[in-house]
Amino acid sequence: MRTIRITALLSAVALMAYGCQKDPLKDMTNEESRIYITDHDSTIQFNSFHTFSVSDSVALIQNGQSGKQLTSADAAYIQAVKDQMQARGYVLVSKNDNPDLGLTVNRIISTTTGVISYDSYWDYYGSYWDPYYWGYPGYGYYLPYSYAVYQIREGAVSVDMVDLKDASESQKLSVIWTGLIRGSGIYNASIAPSQVKALFDQSSYIQTN
Amino acid sequence: MKNKILICLFGLLTAGFSAKSQSSRMSLNLNYNYSFPVSHFNSDLVNNGSPRGFTGNMMYHINPLISVGLDFGYQDYYQKYPRQVYNYGQTQQISAVLYNSVQTIPVMARVEVTPFSKTLTSVRPYVSAAAGANFISNTQYLGEFSNPSNSTGFMAQGGLGVKVPFVRYNSWGADIGGTYNIAPYNKFGYKNLDNLNVHAGIYFNIE
Repeated sequence: MRTIRITALLSAVALMAYGCQKDPLKDMTNEESRIYITDHDSTIQFNSFHTFSVSDSVALIQNGQSGKQLTSADAAYIQAVKDQMQARGYVLVSKNDNPDLGLTVNRIISTTTGVISYDSYWDYYGSYWDPYYWGYPGYGYYLPYSYAVYQIREGAVSVDMVDLKDASESQKLSVIWTGLIRGSGIYNASIAPSQVKALFDQSSYIQTN
Repeated sequence: MKNKILICLFGLLTAGFSAKSQSSRMSLNLNYNYSFPVSHFNSDLVNNGSPRGFTGNMMYHINPLISVGLDFGYQDYYQKYPRQVYNYGQTQQISAVLYNSVQTIPVMARVEVTPFSKTLTSVRPYVSAAAGANFISNTQYLGEFSNPSNSTGFMAQGGLGVKVPFVRYNSWGADIGGTYNIAPYNKFGYKNLDNLNVHAGIYFNIE
């Protein structure tokens, strides 16, 4: 009987202790849930580029399938990318006017497999954004830095910057900067400007001068 | 938060009453514990004090002076750091609100010495020492994305306090004291989870 009482007592204490644990996920706003990851080619002088163009739609990458979409949130992200580039001195031109830089916006969703790795995202990048889109059919994309550190669960928005100015000489489309937004409530037009601004704010090297 | 602490305290106290029995060689001690991270734990992981914890021990009284037994406990440490940009490797930056959530469950062998047990009856100071295992759960959140890690480490403890018997024959009473825990922790570049604690609770004889 004594053993039972002591066991019950200690079990009650253990349960109380578990109940007292503070859960970070309950102490978090949507804004606090988000993370912004950027990476870039450190050999690139970003002030050597002057003009840019942004894709007119968003690549929706969902469970290994891809397609193009243009929801109000997508349009807001595209506009936000234009605004941030212009704020840093770059000139927006049509993709037919030989821009120095091409930028794409991608929405990544995983609903069935649970996980999409950067590897699988990057492996099929050429099919999401056919090099023909930028006027360079037959060229391959090239990523000079690691793109496989994190896994993407649930959803993310990514922005990729491609070097078009040097494509003819190098015979490849080099991705020289990437930005990734993850967290709660990111597919929302009203917050797109602040999300894209966060990516550019932590990439101060993106400047024309 | 205050309600949670009160519930915990109430639970500890009522649990003690329900388990009462008569005297003498075995005793059970349950305390509410407040912990202050110190040393590298304070500077590298969490510098908030933790009001979420308990300690306890089950002791066998070899004689009125010395008792030996098992010490156990639980403490939940938590710290939220404002959004900041962290460099990762040569070229990558990550902006995130960072959360450190650390739980420790020490289980240690303990010895307690009550030097004035024959001369003092109303207040009994004691010193204690303990050593054993420390079960550690350390989860770092970057935003809502967690990176959990579980491990087992060593812990050594020194402490002192006073026991105040409530009734004749010392069948139960109050315990107030403090401990210092040395807890090495060699993961992710961290060095230790050392902490300083104050506790208050009850003890009662169970045999």
